[in-house]
Amino acid sequence: MGMWHDLLVPLQYDYMVRAVVVSGLIGVVCGFLSAFVTLKGWSLLGDALSHAVVPGVALAGLLGWPLAAGAFLTGVLATGAMALIKVKSRLREDAVMGIVFTTFFAAGLLIISLTPGGVDRKTIIFGNILAIADRELLQVVVIAVVTLVVLGCKWRDLMLFCFDATQARTLGLPVVVLHGLLLVLMSATVVAALQAVGAVLVVAMLVTPGAAAHLLTDRFGRMMWVAAGLGGGCALVGAYASYFFDGATGGCIVTLQALVFGVVFLWAPRHGWLAERRRARGRSGSGKAQEVRL
Amino acid sequence: MTTSFHHSTGDLRLEVSGLGVVYANGHRALSGASFSLTGGTICGLVGPNGSGKSTLFKSMMGFVRPSAGVVTINGGPVREALKAQVVAYVPQAEEVDWDFPVSVWDVVLMGRYGAMNFLRRARLSDRLAVEESLRRVSLWEFRDRQIGELSGGQKKRVFLARALAQGGRLILLDEPFTGVDVQTEEAIIVLLRELRTSGCIIVVSTHNLGSVPEFCDQAVLLNKTVLACGPTASVFTEQNLTAAFGGVLRHFHFERSTIQSHDGRSVKIMTDDERPLVFGKDGHLEYKDREGRESLIDERRRRETEAER
Repeated sequence: MGMWHDLLVPLQYDYMVRAVVVSGLIGVVCGFLSAFVTLKGWSLLGDALSHAVVPGVALAGLLGWPLAAGAFLTGVLATGAMALIKVKSRLREDAVMGIVFTTFFAAGLLIISLTPGGVDRKTIIFGNILAIADRELLQVVVIAVVTLVVLGCKWRDLMLFCFDATQARTLGLPVVVLHGLLLVLMSATVVAALQAVGAVLVVAMLVTPGAAAHLLTDRFGRMMWVAAGLGGGCALVGAYASYFFDGATGGCIVTLQALVFGVVFLWAPRHGWLAERRRARGRSGSGKAQEVRL
Repeated sequence: MTTSFHHSTGDLRLEVSGLGVVYANGHRALSGASFSLTGGTICGLVGPNGSGKSTLFKSMMGFVRPSAGVVTINGGPVREALKAQVVAYVPQAEEVDWDFPVSVWDVVLMGRYGAMNFLRRARLSDRLAVEESLRRVSLWEFRDRQIGELSGGQKKRVFLARALAQGGRLILLDEPFTGVDVQTEEAIIVLLRELRTSGCIIVVSTHNLGSVPEFCDQAVLLNKTVLACGPTASVFTEQNLTAAFGGVLRHFHFERSTIQSHDGRSVKIMTDDERPLVFGKDGHLEYKDREGRESLIDERRRRETEAER
């Protein structure tokens, strides 16, 4: 009885309920998108973007703009810079990303420390969903709804773009637009997720649910739902649990995601480590395996 | 404007004229390349690695901006042909992410996306087209498999089925026979011949010389430019191939070999995976299969008797 009472304590606080619901929403959106990010091989790009939006958020806070607008601006700038350097130099993509996103992140940190009255450094880097302002909350909800609607309408196009961009082009699909669309959706969700888990951990929201879902299913449609469910569930429970962990929302959500991934990695029915091992053993003694099946 | 595509059963036309492509890093991949094809035909695109085969493919799909010249399909720009679903591409196995969570059915259905509405919801006609395509390549029973669970030959046929479902009339195949067993190769060739009969232009990029005379009506010999084009027999001369491949090809001269008269007319040739190309005594092409080529043999016999006289 007492334990149940203790567990329900967080829900007595409005700010906790709000944080849990918003985190869940962000988790669902990020999870949805993570299906595309992981299959396109853009995980590192997600990491780069999440750091590149920091100066934008800092500037926006300073100028009184919506944070999303600033974040979006520097996110796009960073993507452009990466594309330019890659085309105009002989450097590899990972080196280009490494240079660009640390540069933007450093610029962001500089802006924050040079302007004491602006955005709080901790809020940007570690997130602060428990104290989210109404205006930021509205931004998060708008981003989430728009992203879900766009993905709901165009997921097949984006799936084909991730699977076989060449084919998408020969079918006359606007590949450049799809490429841009996916980048824009990523930037937008990064901004939303920033509020929940902070810049450092955003990439986990955009990668881990999709990676786990990929091990659980062989159909893209199902993978999207599984990823959205995992992302949403982990964010919901993580944010709730953070009440008992001194408000470290980002840490709770991402740790939970990692635990889920670990379980899936080991025990996924078909593509888990143990299942693969079992299958490999079955192959080496195929006669016996057949007997068992009969 | 796009109606020209619909009325073009049997006379599809691909024209590459004076094509030059220079990449952003300054690499000149093609210059002054010209040839033209009229459907139905099967054309082999042959050249060594780095000869510009993939660049030419990309030009035909509108992926690279030519620095000179132009590619037209049925007299119009490539972009229009893409919009009208005329161009279909069958990729190399290495280009595909086989772990991607899609089934055989999903992949073939993707061929229909260009013809679908904004939401890409499959209509009955789309499903019927997918089913027919899958049956034609004998993959209907495998429609629910994840693509990574297929054999090499089945993997190739999935993407052929996608091209069929799309209804493409200019079909580009990149190295279709690598990693494919003999039966699949034969099955693919039969299918390509059917497509040719229905008026399609099929362009096959390959470095596997021996397979080209067996099933290609025409050939384009490529090395940074078009060295020769036309009917395979006139393009595939030792001289042309030496010009295209230089010292890259392995030569095998029978008169220099250990083959003696007691071997008679029967010579066994074995290779590990490539089909060998065999030239006759006076430099003419030898075919594995003489069926359908009787007139050629008659002509050669006539020439021989004339020479004896």
